Amino acid sequence: MISILVSVFTFSWLYHHSFWYRSEDADNYDNPDEIAVGVFPKHNDDMRLEVAWTIAPFILIVWLTYVSWVPLDAVWSEIGEDGYHGDECEDGEFSNNHLDNQGIVTSECYHVIEITGKQWVWQFDCLDLSTEICDTGSDNIEVYGTVPLLSLKTGETYLARMMSEDVTHAPWFLGLGVKEDVHYSPETTLWLPISENVDDQIILCTEYCGDAHSVMAGKLVVHQ
Amino acid sequence: MNAKSARAILVLSAIAMAMVISPAVVSYPTGIQGVKESGCNCHGATTSSDVVPSIAGLPDQYNYSETYEITVSFVGGPANPSNANQGGFNLWVSDGELSPADATVQSYGANEVSHTEAGNDQTSWTLTWVSPSSDRNVEFVLHTNSVNGNADGANGGSSGDMWNRLTAKVSPPVLVLEEADPFVVLSTLIVVSAILLAFTLAYVFYRTNPESFTWDYFAPWIADWLTTTDHKKVGTLYFVAGLFFLGVGGIMAMMIRIQLAVPGNDFLTQDQYNQFFTLHGTTMIFLAAMPLINGFANWMVPLQIGAPDLALPRLNAMSFWLQPVGALLIFTGVFSGSGADTGWTGYAPYVVSETAHMGTTMWVAGQIMLVASSTLTGINFLTTIAVMRAPGMGWLQMPLFTWSILIANLMLFLSIPAFGIGLIQVYLDRVIGTAFYDVSAGGDPLLWSHLFWYFGHPEVYVVIVPAFGVISEVIATSARRSIFGYRSMVYAMAGIGVVSFIVYGHHMFTSGMSPTLRFVTMLTTMLVAVPTGIKIFNWLKTMHGGSLVYRTHTLWTLGFLVTFTLGGISGMFFPSIAMDLHLHESYFVVAHFHYVLVGGTVFGFYAAIYYWFPKMSGRMMDERLGVLHFLVGFISYNALFWPMHRLGVWGMARRHHTYFVTTEEAMGALPIEATGWNMFISVAAFIFFFSNFIMVANMIKTLIRGEKAPPDPWGGWSFEWMTTSPPPTPSFDPHNLPILSDANEHVANEPGTLSKLFNRLMVSEEEAEEASH
Repeated sequence: MISILVSVFTFSWLYHHSFWYRSEDADNYDNPDEIAVGVFPKHNDDMRLEVAWTIAPFILIVWLTYVSWVPLDAVWSEIGEDGYHGDECEDGEFSNNHLDNQGIVTSECYHVIEITGKQWVWQFDCLDLSTEICDTGSDNIEVYGTVPLLSLKTGETYLARMMSEDVTHAPWFLGLGVKEDVHYSPETTLWLPISENVDDQIILCTEYCGDAHSVMAGKLVVHQ
Repeated sequence: MNAKSARAILVLSAIAMAMVISPAVVSYPTGIQGVKESGCNCHGATTSSDVVPSIAGLPDQYNYSETYEITVSFVGGPANPSNANQGGFNLWVSDGELSPADATVQSYGANEVSHTEAGNDQTSWTLTWVSPSSDRNVEFVLHTNSVNGNADGANGGSSGDMWNRLTAKVSPPVLVLEEADPFVVLSTLIVVSAILLAFTLAYVFYRTNPESFTWDYFAPWIADWLTTTDHKKVGTLYFVAGLFFLGVGGIMAMMIRIQLAVPGNDFLTQDQYNQFFTLHGTTMIFLAAMPLINGFANWMVPLQIGAPDLALPRLNAMSFWLQPVGALLIFTGVFSGSGADTGWTGYAPYVVSETAHMGTTMWVAGQIMLVASSTLTGINFLTTIAVMRAPGMGWLQMPLFTWSILIANLMLFLSIPAFGIGLIQVYLDRVIGTAFYDVSAGGDPLLWSHLFWYFGHPEVYVVIVPAFGVISEVIATSARRSIFGYRSMVYAMAGIGVVSFIVYGHHMFTSGMSPTLRFVTMLTTMLVAVPTGIKIFNWLKTMHGGSLVYRTHTLWTLGFLVTFTLGGISGMFFPSIAMDLHLHESYFVVAHFHYVLVGGTVFGFYAAIYYWFPKMSGRMMDERLGVLHFLVGFISYNALFWPMHRLGVWGMARRHHTYFVTTEEAMGALPIEATGWNMFISVAAFIFFFSNFIMVANMIKTLIRGEKAPPDPWGGWSFEWMTTSPPPTPSFDPHNLPILSDANEHVANEPGTLSKLFNRLMVSEEEAEEASH
């Protein structure tokens, strides 16, 4: 919405001035700024206007920063911090995800899984989680062929601990709209909150990793 | 030669010999993989005619999807039934599917089979080949090795073994033309472009002065161009080189768009595509945009400040001539079919890994040359602008294009050393085995990202800020007004220069960098919108109360305002990290930076060409062809890049050699509409590419029979419009320099804060004279 407003304002101004101030006669015109070769022309400025369009965008970006900040805490919530995803779930404990009206998921606890990238395949590991909570396998995706599969449960939140066995990769969970680089070292992490509105989705690699980078895919399946 | 040198040469020779003969493939006794190009060199350095391979069972012409039983075998060499082992093979096929027929053969994918350990004791193997379902010219490459069975090392390892290669071709039911190798297509197009450029220059040379079209005249003329230190001629050299590489980068872009026109296309293999997008980015940034900026800067800065030439003319020539050398190194890999495949960002650790192509080393070396070139250029322009301004021209009386070059070079000068250091580290890692980025030895992959983007983000502004300078000049001249808010324009450019150094972290939001740092760079990145917004509003306000004359350069400037504003707005999505996590490395990013770098930088260059070409050539360009170029270029450009925003949001990832649409909507992959949009983009790309030839034709036509240009055809105020078109050499008489007057007399003779500061740093003339005594 902000983008549309800024565009409409700027382009209306451009459109108006482009035609309103169009020269009637290219050779005869007023010369209010005394433009002549070898003469630095008269200043054409207005301090109030210049300050106005310095301060107005500044206020706008402060507001945009504030708006952008809100989901940031959830995206990078500290591990074990009670604010969004609580502590690691005990055996038999469930996350009981809650989706608020801003689209942010909070959970009572989370489950840990591992994702490993290597040229050019993903490896998913559910560690000690029961198959009810997390499962792995392989599946066939139209055109990608056989790809590794990660099956997660609706209503649960997962913390993926991620490592690479070689170069840098980055899993892009297309439906969740998140990605994070996977390095040989240091380990990185990614929250995967599986709320009610998350569907099955493809996982691509989005950090260029060599020859078969573009077909390094996986599949996330959401089960009830 | 002393004993020490002899020992060193001996050791180096031994190392070189070891490197040559060391095995480079997975081999013996469990099969041979990946030897299509290299051969079985673990069984000897070269092929041996004593070994005769053969393939039986292949038809001359295959039937669609039919299964053929094939027998591969060899005779000759040291193989003998009494040996522990007799030999092995590797068979590669370009199409169809190879499968083992028994346990003596194993598969390495559909295209490659080899012997198993069980099959190491024979000279003949059986397998099956399923022919393609469409018409393809199929190529088979067979390697067989004949061994003497001493491979356990007890009797000399593989010494005495021999191997040989056989290639065979099978035709399809309906004969088809051989597919051209994309590298051959690219190389041919580059060579043809270079020949056309040479012919065009020769033709223009002939038509401008038919009488002098003789070798006696041509030899000194070309020698003069090759050895010139005149800023205008060096500027023209930069300009021609920049336009040539803009074409080369464009050819690569077209091949990329052919590949992406339809899903699942196989025009380029993954491997080829990776090299094409790497070289497209490197070429466009370092070999097209930077030389074009330097071309205009070389031409215009001395003219605008009233200087006879640059401060260091020979250094200037050296800066230029480093560029073609760097370009040759960068392209070396492509001509060998193994060009850099790392992306222009060359992320570690991939860039130092064994899987990165051999051409990456020369690609890095070429860029080190370009770093040297840019550093020397920076020294030259900073010196020239600081000390060679004409009398009366204070810092805040410089034309805005000169200001833009000053700020761009200052940014480059401060940022490029980091890139240079990173490149040298990568080079050392690749060549002598240091471990700056070798993660298994403790190297840090994020170090490269920091060094690269500390340079890379200011570099983006280095190529856009000169376009700001051009737009400021053109819009003021076209509107017959003084630029609105001259001082705030200077401060805004300087502000962009400063902020550019503290925003680069937004390229690394998904890198695992500290969340605190990510948050800080989110804030600073948002801040870039403030000085950029000031500039856009000032440009718009400049038209207020003016008398806008529509010329081609005016049209490109108004076009710039549209596209750059759109690019700026799309850029505001990235510092919002939650959005960046989805959009990062998608086609939304590709759309954004092309809106800024093409709609910003390149449109700025187009405006500059139409604005200053009369000054440079002494001839007026054809306005009708100019308007046609604008209309075709502007429309096709937007048709090309605007839909990419949508593709990015849908989930089309960049740097993927192909994409797949799916009807499985729940998968979240690209919808079926993406196919149509990609074809639309590819068609628009070709129209945009060819629209540039309208401008080239216009330039040629202008040089041959353009109307003579007056000194100041557009009514500008700065010194370049004071000289003749084209200007003389030296551009201004060193003993009679122009003096700038100021319509704002009350402030004209007051030195500003910057002047006072700089004057304190400089040695005064009196002190210099005293010192000389």
